[in-house]
Amino acid sequence: MAERQPSNPPPAFAAKRQAGPGATRLRRVVLGVLGLAAFIGLWKCAYLFNWAPRGTIPDPFDVPAALWDEYSSGRMLPAIGSSLIHYVWGLGIGTALGFAVGLMAASSRVFDDIHYMLARVLRPIPPLAWVIFAIAWFQVSHAGAAFVISIGVFWVNYFATASGVRNVDPRFYELARAFGHASFIKRVTSITLPGAMPSILSGVRTGVGQAWMTLIAAELLGVPGMGQEMNSAAGVGAYDAVVVYMLAISLIYTLSDGLFALVENRTLRWRP
Amino acid sequence: MSTTQTRLADVAYRYPTAEAPVFAGLDFTIGAGEFVALVGGSGVGKSTVLRCIAGLITPSHGVIDLPPTPGDGSRASAVVFQDTRLLPWRRLRANVGYGLSGLGLSRAQREDRIDDVLELISMRDFDGRWPHEISGGQAQRIGLARALAVRPQVLLMDEPFSAVDALTRTRLQDELLAIWKRLNMAVLFVTHDIAEATYLADRVCVMRGSPARIVFDETVPVAHPRQREDATLQTFVQRVADAL
Repeated sequence: MAERQPSNPPPAFAAKRQAGPGATRLRRVVLGVLGLAAFIGLWKCAYLFNWAPRGTIPDPFDVPAALWDEYSSGRMLPAIGSSLIHYVWGLGIGTALGFAVGLMAASSRVFDDIHYMLARVLRPIPPLAWVIFAIAWFQVSHAGAAFVISIGVFWVNYFATASGVRNVDPRFYELARAFGHASFIKRVTSITLPGAMPSILSGVRTGVGQAWMTLIAAELLGVPGMGQEMNSAAGVGAYDAVVVYMLAISLIYTLSDGLFALVENRTLRWRP
Repeated sequence: MSTTQTRLADVAYRYPTAEAPVFAGLDFTIGAGEFVALVGGSGVGKSTVLRCIAGLITPSHGVIDLPPTPGDGSRASAVVFQDTRLLPWRRLRANVGYGLSGLGLSRAQREDRIDDVLELISMRDFDGRWPHEISGGQAQRIGLARALAVRPQVLLMDEPFSAVDALTRTRLQDELLAIWKRLNMAVLFVTHDIAEATYLADRVCVMRGSPARIVFDETVPVAHPRQREDATLQTFVQRVADAL
């Protein structure tokens, strides 16, 4: 037994571990680029050897031209603008309501009792199922898309806020009482909200991502925006344009998530 | 400067779920500027007494009188917790100032108070740090400063030094004595450590029984400043231990 388990690591391992953090980072970037290149190579192969029904896989090297085409034709920016409107409203409304209802559910016993069955009934309904009503109520409009998006975002924030508030250390509430913060407002602002903030913000951040998922799906069903552009591009076989919008979504998501990460880190800088 | 005493008359407390009270018939006073140690085994309800005095829970029976606040931005009592309870999302300075809102102090007055107490615990340079950046002993000092900032008529300390190492504990005890002498406030110090109680306090009270009562209440026969190994003090320690 003992012989099979050498007590010292093999020299190769030891050498690797001695490499500085700079070298590790470089290695990571190089490998990351290689991975990306391999994916594009595979994609190119799929295009060349027709691994999918003819015409449904675009040539990866055609994508830049398609990007220029979408941009210069004046389709792309209005589509992005329209999507952003849905996104901002849906995200804003869903976040605010989810936070408010989650806070009430966790801080008022009566409200919790009144709403829990309703929440259990509504929660499992996928946001996209509401598209039917969105179209019926709002027709094909910005409001309808924002409505559908806000539903998904609502639940994420509702659960994050409620569990964050419930998990605040009760000993801090005793401290608040001992030091003149007994009133509801003072207690909530000095203990509940900062204590629940890590959970609340991680809910908001999940919502920031989730909103994009429902957004595109809602637009695929007809509301103007990137989703609709993708649909109509696919209708004329312009799959390279579909890829352009997919990459645009990826880029915008990365930007919004990065921006939010900055806000989050700044707000939670008290954490070890 | 307080002019009256903290008085407990026939106080009892029963937990909502319990049949019998934890303690009953509690009668004792803490004089102005007096340092009283409350000693007892675990589960005897010492901390519950302290919570009653702090107004965090309401006694099931009896009356608790606190000295009136002179209306100069002070509170009747302030608590120092064993687990420090610093708010991790506030810098140390903001933690120290936590009790100062609602006392009718201007911003400048509040800042002065914070500076004064930070000076008192020799942690002026730490005020911009976060609670997770300091040691247990330093956190306990900040907890003390937070309580001192509201200029309590009676300072309620709930086993404040039992979670720190022995060396730090000794230092904190001496610092507390120095601060107490300067500020001339009443202190109720709850502890299970007899040596600590007798070294610090003017008077030692022992709680025992079920429901618990005060079974021992005597003035420590040695004047401050004391030597920890003083023979008279040791004899007194033994007497408290016998009562426990």
